[in-house]
Amino acid sequence: MNSYPPELLTQLAPVMFVGGLDPPPASGKTTDPFVVLSHRLREALVNQRKVAVWQPEKKKTFQVVPVDKDVRFPPRRLIPPEHPDYANAHSPLSPLTPSSPLYPDGLIAPIWIRKHTRLVPSVFVIFMRLFEHAPTSRAPLETAEVDREREAEERRRDTELCAEIAARKKTVSERGVKLTVVLLASRKLLDDPSLDGRLTYIRRQSGLDPRAALFVLSPVSQSEIGDFVRSLQEALYEPAIEYYTNHSKRVRRKRNRHSQVASSYPITQPIGSAPSRPLRPEGWTVRYEYKMACFAEFRGEDEVALKHYQDAYASLAIMFGSTAILPPRTKRWAEAKVLADCINLKICKLYLYNNEHSLALAHHNSHMRKFADFSRGWGIGEETFEFWSWLARQHRAFAELLEHGTRSTLKIPTHFSTTPPSHAAAAAAVQALESGQRGALELEAMRALGLNPNQALQHPGFYYYMSARSTERRRERFLGVARSEAEGETTTAPPPGFANEQKVDHLALILELYTRAYDLFKAYTPKDAHGHGRLTLWIAYRIAQTYYESGKFDLAVRFFERIAKTYRREQWDSLLRPLLTTWYSCAQQMGDMELSVRLLFEMLGHGLKTQDDDEDSTQEDLLAVLKSSVPSSTEEPLLIDHSESEPILQTCAVFWRPDVLVGEPVAFQLSVSSPTGVSLSSLTFTSLVIHMSGDMPTITLRNSSLDPSAELPQVQKVELDHIMPSGEDDKEVQAPLRFGVGGTIVFCGTVSCEMPATVKIEKLVLTTKEGNWNIQIPLRPLSSRHGGAPYPRWLSSFDPPTYIPVRRDQYSSVVVRHRPHKVQVSVTYNAPAYIGEEFPITVGVSNQDDKEMEMIVDALLQPAELDELGENHIRMGDERSTSLIKGVSLGTIAPGVSTSMILYLSSAGAVYDRVIDISVQSHREMPATAEEPESPQSPKSPTQSRIDRDETIRTLVVPSVQPISIEQHAVYMRSLKSQPGLADLTTYEDNYWDDGDVGEAIVTTTIACTAPSGIIVDSITLTKQDGRHAKIVDSALDQVMDDFLAEWLTGDEFCDRCRISLAARDDLPEGQDIPPPGSYELTWRRILPEGGYSTPATTRFSLPTLRPPRDGLIALLDVPPTAQLHTPLTLRLVVRNRQPTRSANVVVHLETDNSDAFIAAGLRNGRLPILLPGAEETVLWRLVPVECGFVRIPRIRVADRRTDPGAEGELQERIVRIVDVRADERREVKEDGTVEEGPQLAEPVILVLP
Amino acid sequence: MPPQPRLNAVAFVSPQNHPILIRTFAQPRQDELKYHYIAHTSLDVIEERIASAQAAKSTECYLSLLYTMEDVAVYGYVTPLRVKIILALALTDAVVRDIDVIAIFKAMHTAYHLSVANPFLKVNMPLESVNDHAAMLSAGSAKWKAFRQRVDDVGRVMGASIPSSTSNASTQSH
Repeated sequence: MNSYPPELLTQLAPVMFVGGLDPPPASGKTTDPFVVLSHRLREALVNQRKVAVWQPEKKKTFQVVPVDKDVRFPPRRLIPPEHPDYANAHSPLSPLTPSSPLYPDGLIAPIWIRKHTRLVPSVFVIFMRLFEHAPTSRAPLETAEVDREREAEERRRDTELCAEIAARKKTVSERGVKLTVVLLASRKLLDDPSLDGRLTYIRRQSGLDPRAALFVLSPVSQSEIGDFVRSLQEALYEPAIEYYTNHSKRVRRKRNRHSQVASSYPITQPIGSAPSRPLRPEGWTVRYEYKMACFAEFRGEDEVALKHYQDAYASLAIMFGSTAILPPRTKRWAEAKVLADCINLKICKLYLYNNEHSLALAHHNSHMRKFADFSRGWGIGEETFEFWSWLARQHRAFAELLEHGTRSTLKIPTHFSTTPPSHAAAAAAVQALESGQRGALELEAMRALGLNPNQALQHPGFYYYMSARSTERRRERFLGVARSEAEGETTTAPPPGFANEQKVDHLALILELYTRAYDLFKAYTPKDAHGHGRLTLWIAYRIAQTYYESGKFDLAVRFFERIAKTYRREQWDSLLRPLLTTWYSCAQQMGDMELSVRLLFEMLGHGLKTQDDDEDSTQEDLLAVLKSSVPSSTEEPLLIDHSESEPILQTCAVFWRPDVLVGEPVAFQLSVSSPTGVSLSSLTFTSLVIHMSGDMPTITLRNSSLDPSAELPQVQKVELDHIMPSGEDDKEVQAPLRFGVGGTIVFCGTVSCEMPATVKIEKLVLTTKEGNWNIQIPLRPLSSRHGGAPYPRWLSSFDPPTYIPVRRDQYSSVVVRHRPHKVQVSVTYNAPAYIGEEFPITVGVSNQDDKEMEMIVDALLQPAELDELGENHIRMGDERSTSLIKGVSLGTIAPGVSTSMILYLSSAGAVYDRVIDISVQSHREMPATAEEPESPQSPKSPTQSRIDRDETIRTLVVPSVQPISIEQHAVYMRSLKSQPGLADLTTYEDNYWDDGDVGEAIVTTTIACTAPSGIIVDSITLTKQDGRHAKIVDSALDQVMDDFLAEWLTGDEFCDRCRISLAARDDLPEGQDIPPPGSYELTWRRILPEGGYSTPATTRFSLPTLRPPRDGLIALLDVPPTAQLHTPLTLRLVVRNRQPTRSANVVVHLETDNSDAFIAAGLRNGRLPILLPGAEETVLWRLVPVECGFVRIPRIRVADRRTDPGAEGELQERIVRIVDVRADERREVKEDGTVEEGPQLAEPVILVLP
Repeated sequence: MPPQPRLNAVAFVSPQNHPILIRTFAQPRQDELKYHYIAHTSLDVIEERIASAQAAKSTECYLSLLYTMEDVAVYGYVTPLRVKIILALALTDAVVRDIDVIAIFKAMHTAYHLSVANPFLKVNMPLESVNDHAAMLSAGSAKWKAFRQRVDDVGRVMGASIPSSTSNASTQSH
């Protein structure tokens, strides 16, 4: 942008002239408050706005120009106003004025803008001092007279002030400029009541406007000055806008007049001057539109300005379209071009203010395209340096504009959104597109579809880059012209700008542009990028190229070093190759021999040729360098490390097998091949040293082929024989170390090792000696940097060469192991194991090897999910664990000897398979070889190499079963005992036991033997654990009979009945279980197959929990089991109301029948007294049996009369169940609360004996 | 309707940022190196976009316009397996519809995965370390022509003038 007049580019703002503010004195500090005030005001006003290109803020600020109080404006016309021609005269800058620089056909000159920014204001502010008397002490006597004198003095001074203001006012009003006077007065005067009068006087006398024309300011602080400046500008902004609007109106009037009468302007030609063409109507349009645009810009009306600038630009384009209007390569044409470029920038800027990025870019692009087309017509097309110079300038100016913008408000948009545009928008866009609607919607619609890449705004670095590229082209074109000039080939004259172009330092220019682009690219790299900056590297590469072009090779080399690092790492060889070539040229130019050698080796690795179509060129260059120069230091060999870059030779080591036993030889092949495309045949490598891992000797291969012209076979084979670690010296072999194009040497050999180790080829060192050069190139096998090729392969036949692909993973190393030990481990046990017993497992270990070994046994009981409590455990000797027993030594076992030990498994809990891992580790000491030196290169820990270990693992799955199975069930009997009385004191005693309520439970336990092998039972005991609610009364076991303590075989069963008395106390809530009052304990032993018994084991199980049922209203019938004929017996019926809340109204019927075997005496039909909850009533009958045998007793019916809710007044009878207490067997309460009744006899019967 | 975009070059870059294949269709043919640079520099923008897409939990493959430089507009695409595809379209002053660009990308992606599916790419490779990366890179190597041809087919549909397959061997050297 610097190449354009700054006036045409800067953002315009209303101009304010400030008079009467002196610049601060050069030296010394003043204490006069008015001087200080004046300085501060000046600073505040001048510094509030900087002249800049990018200033989108609209803050009603003025561009303040400090001027002298008596500044003169430039004349509006050349002739004085008194002259009769004044009305027809034109401004001194008009093309119509002969003395104007624009005469006769200029468009607009920067001086016109300068006139409006520097010479003519829109408002004029004068700061003046209001007269004040010095604050002297005055004598009280002469008050009146002195006052009068003072007033007269004041009046005189004010009148002078008015005259001055009026004179100033006259000059400014001529131009429509507003004059504002700021009077500076002391604070004291501000409070003086006479001030108002004085001010009114001054304003009237000097003819100032009534509004915003007179201010008074006293010395105030800095912040208050700021406030004052702001309010001053706010007050004056409107008159300023008005001023520019008036100008616009004037220009518009002129334009309209002008467009009506196209060329009515009389041309006043000075006599004697050459007749020249006046400005065309198009030119006038440009002029007026441009002026209107400027005035709009002064007013801050960006949209109006944009419109006028566009009109001006369009008219300019019309003018350029015709060489008749604007003949190329004239002064006016050049001016117009500058004007067009500047207007373009203004338009772009105004678009960018409004964030219309794509419109701005579209305008900029079309400007460049349009003028590129014009340029072709003017004969300065793309083949000329002038064109490229112009294009570079456009790009640069745009980049600078963006840079200005980004420094303040402009944001570069991102063209990527992670949320794809909504389908609706896209669909609407397609519809709009297809229906051909070209509306205002179109632009928005198109944005949803995609964007025009040409109108995607990018950061300024891209435009600097474009500018640099254009400048490069400019330089090419220039060099082309210069060459043909120098050779004198051209017949035509050099292009017009050639002389100037010769003075331009193109490379410096390119460098500057690239450097700016580089900085911007770097600045726009996101902070969280992983430090790649490939874009910056690309620019850096261009910079390096430019340095190379300008002969600054050392700088170029520094860049290349950095760039090559990334390209090598990312394996972009296509980018690396041209870089290496240029880098090598730099090294050649600098005479840096070592660098040249390094680069040549790398280029050989890449198969690069220094001269095209000569595959030997690179190695010949290398040989020439080696022969013609000496290295900087001859003591140290030059090390060329190719670990990052492409190595000169591809190496690959393959072992035939992945692992071998100690002492067993394994074949290997090491292939070394040269890259395709480049010949290395002339290079003589002195030696190749192969370094293997561990104690392997290094193998040195000396070159045997000294004849450089000998024919090279494609594949050569070198035998290395057997290699094994030994104390002897390193091995030396003769080998031809020369490579043709893509040639391969395969080194074959075998390797064996006496120690377990991993053997691989660690590195190769290639040495070449030429003259004073001693170059070492370390190579790593498998150093192909690319993921795949070349694949490892095995040379299977030498002539013709055939290969077997190696498809293993670990082909580049071999693992040497000890021989496995011959240890036999046997495990014997009698499955299944029984829960509760200690189950023996015999582990037999037998050494069948030929060496004596030390054995150790580990056993691990695998944890199971079921075994949460760790109830299972294993035991070996004294060691006992719930999971792992480690390191139980079996001692040293001689060859052929067997030993065994017993592992016990104790299982408890659930039935499932127990899993045990048994590991037998055998190890033996290697005989220490005394002569083996402890060399620091072979750090081998004795545990690894001297101890020969092996391990045999057995996993057992031991099924575990229960030896006995248990089945229990309980029945409940009611008791006929009557309820204790309410006040019975015994019920309060602690040991009071009342089983009348619940009765008794009888538990039957069936023990069955399920052990497959059978067990012998030593004892069965019932342990009583009386509780609060239950206690064992008796059990079948009480009658001790030892005959059940015998061998039980599978299926044998044993049964025990146990009677338990239950007491329902208040603290037992209904439905809760009663804990078991005792448990059984069974001691048993397994019967072993061979007849003996194993160790005793105990199984415990408790009685079941008890859940007695509860009654409601029930009738219990007590019938004696037998009776004597004709002997009376008593029949007792107890009616119990155990309902918790309801009382019962019970009716009893004895339904005698003629066929009855009894004669009954007692109640036949009757109602019992109301039974309250908990109460019971007994009814007795005397019966005399009259028949023998099992006879049925008379039928008794018990009913409860009650009124059901809902059935009004009607009594319903419910039959109450009658239970024969002899056969009272209820099961326990089930989950759903029901009770399964025991088998009930249909009718109670009595056996009547005769 | 906006004109169909003209394809100047396409590049396939592996997830490890190694070039798989770079084909240029632009005339004249000498500035092939330029497209190598474009492919390489695009990785910067692609990585930035991928990072921002991941931050937004987006699974969008299409990375939109990466940048424009000189006479090309560069577009990016990343496959679900992180293979990056970069298109260089000739810069014209017209709206390039995203669906058009995505269609080219999809075609290129298909060409790529059809080619990588070739089981013979892995012949002679160590079996135990069947790594797709090596197969990926070898798909673009001079040895295998199918990938090149498929890409050329797409290019031909896009109106690029492709010389007959004889010149293929010299365009790539990895």
